Amino acid sequence: MLNWLTTDPLNGIIITITFFISIIIGRHLRMKRAENNGKLMDPRIKILLLFFLIISITLMEHWYIPMGILVLCILISLRLNIFRNFGRKLVFPVILAFFIIMIQSLTYGTNTINYGIISVSSKGFESGFLIFARVVAASSLTILLLSTASENEILETMRWYRVPVTMLDISSLMSRYIKAFSMEARKMKMAQISRCGLSGGSGYRKKMHDIASITGALITRALVRAELVYRAMVSRGWKHDRVSPGNRPLNMMDLLMGFVLSTGIIILIGIDRVI
Amino acid sequence: MHISDGILEPKWIFFWYAISILFIGLGLRIINKRIKEEPVYLPRLSLIGAVVFVISVWHIPVPITGSSSHPVGTPMSSIIIGPSATVVISAIALFFQAFVAHGGLTTIGANTFSMGIAGNFGGYFVYRLLRNVSPLWFSAGMAGLAGSIITYLTTAFQLALSLNPGNVPYYWKLYSLGFIPTQLPLAFAEFAFTAYVIKYISETRCMENISSGYPVDRFSRNVLLLMFSITAIIVIGAYIGYLGGANMAGIDSTIEAMAAPAVLPAGIGARLMSYSGEPMGFALVGIIGGLVTGYFWSELRRRS
Repeated sequence: MLNWLTTDPLNGIIITITFFISIIIGRHLRMKRAENNGKLMDPRIKILLLFFLIISITLMEHWYIPMGILVLCILISLRLNIFRNFGRKLVFPVILAFFIIMIQSLTYGTNTINYGIISVSSKGFESGFLIFARVVAASSLTILLLSTASENEILETMRWYRVPVTMLDISSLMSRYIKAFSMEARKMKMAQISRCGLSGGSGYRKKMHDIASITGALITRALVRAELVYRAMVSRGWKHDRVSPGNRPLNMMDLLMGFVLSTGIIILIGIDRVI
Repeated sequence: MHISDGILEPKWIFFWYAISILFIGLGLRIINKRIKEEPVYLPRLSLIGAVVFVISVWHIPVPITGSSSHPVGTPMSSIIIGPSATVVISAIALFFQAFVAHGGLTTIGANTFSMGIAGNFGGYFVYRLLRNVSPLWFSAGMAGLAGSIITYLTTAFQLALSLNPGNVPYYWKLYSLGFIPTQLPLAFAEFAFTAYVIKYISETRCMENISSGYPVDRFSRNVLLLMFSITAIIVIGAYIGYLGGANMAGIDSTIEAMAAPAVLPAGIGARLMSYSGEPMGFALVGIIGGLVTGYFWSELRRRS
């Protein structure tokens, strides 16, 4: 019954060491998350790793790992209670990926299989499915990151990456105005609907005219408000070419985590090539 | 439709990023210069950027398909704030659109190139070309139409380059044809949308750089309407033919068989056509035929 003790100990040693070290790392991650108000990783490291991971996904030659990443993202979104939002955002990339799968299957490669009215190329389907897997995996990663990090956090991260100040100023102003304008546009649309505009019975030309008049009014209002907004900002001490107070430096643990995860990504590429 | 993450090969990701960064750098230089002269330009630019973002995520009705889609918005923006600033605005808008899963982070370079550089400058070029010879609404509308089509042709080219590098021209054509069912109605919608918006803005007289243009007479309006209708019929017909597996080698064989059955292969017309190439030859015939018909139009109307 206990003859496994008398045989090669290597596997037993490996599983014991990895299991117990993982327990320590897992506990540490849990504690770190609790310390950082639920955030596991610095957004600067997160963005860099995301970029790195997406590029490595596009280098993969098999669909297994991208699909595994997709499943993992779905599980994380379920765990974070953001699955509905996650699924809704994933619809567009999936449609695009289906379009590519269809084009590749119908046109790429010579060895075709006839299914009545359509002939599908097996090579094209394989290639299309690989691209499909890459797209959904990469998109799900991006959606997950952007759902778990605030716009301000990402903009601050961009500052750390030395993105020009003007671009960041425009971005931060735009992020505020987008919400204001979305609400304003919705209100104007509702007001127009209440005055029999944009009705189902009106023709295409009338609908276009109604939409364009809302947009035109939004733009003209924006131009008028720009100066007022600028004056208000200046009166609160805002300066375009102000010097940034500087970001908090990356601590050793964040760097270590970044290094470990980067190594993990390289290992994933290696596994993909070996399969 | 923006390109999502995971489609482009890494070399193309970096290539499109490199090109876009050059244009963004140029745009930033111009913006910074303008901000120094006129500090209020920054919030104004951001406000226009926000409006463009809202427009591009706002669905508009598309005829024929019965569905809805969104305009590119960059040709309109280039008319209002200039094409160089629009490059920066569109890059930022694309960054924010990644938050709603339109496009992606690694494809911002490629999408900026198609929407913010090719579509924007292409549309603006058309606007400048037509501004002094046509009414404002028409030149703005044509900018929207051209910008929209150029954007999607560029996207198709980017997809073909990355996905099918062995046969780029064929797949470029194929991806472009794939975009037609949604893109053609959308391009016409963008024509109407941009034309109406710019007309509205010019009527409120809050944009000093938008001139009122030249009025169009009834004859020119009818001719343009006819041109759009026939072009749309030809494109839709070609697409239906393509779906039905028709020979897409051109229309020269049809013309030889039906319009000019007695044409001699060694004749001057055939030789000129082979010398200049088919598109050039047809363009020449169109120009000469149009000029003669237009020149004698009043005479023909009077006699009839």
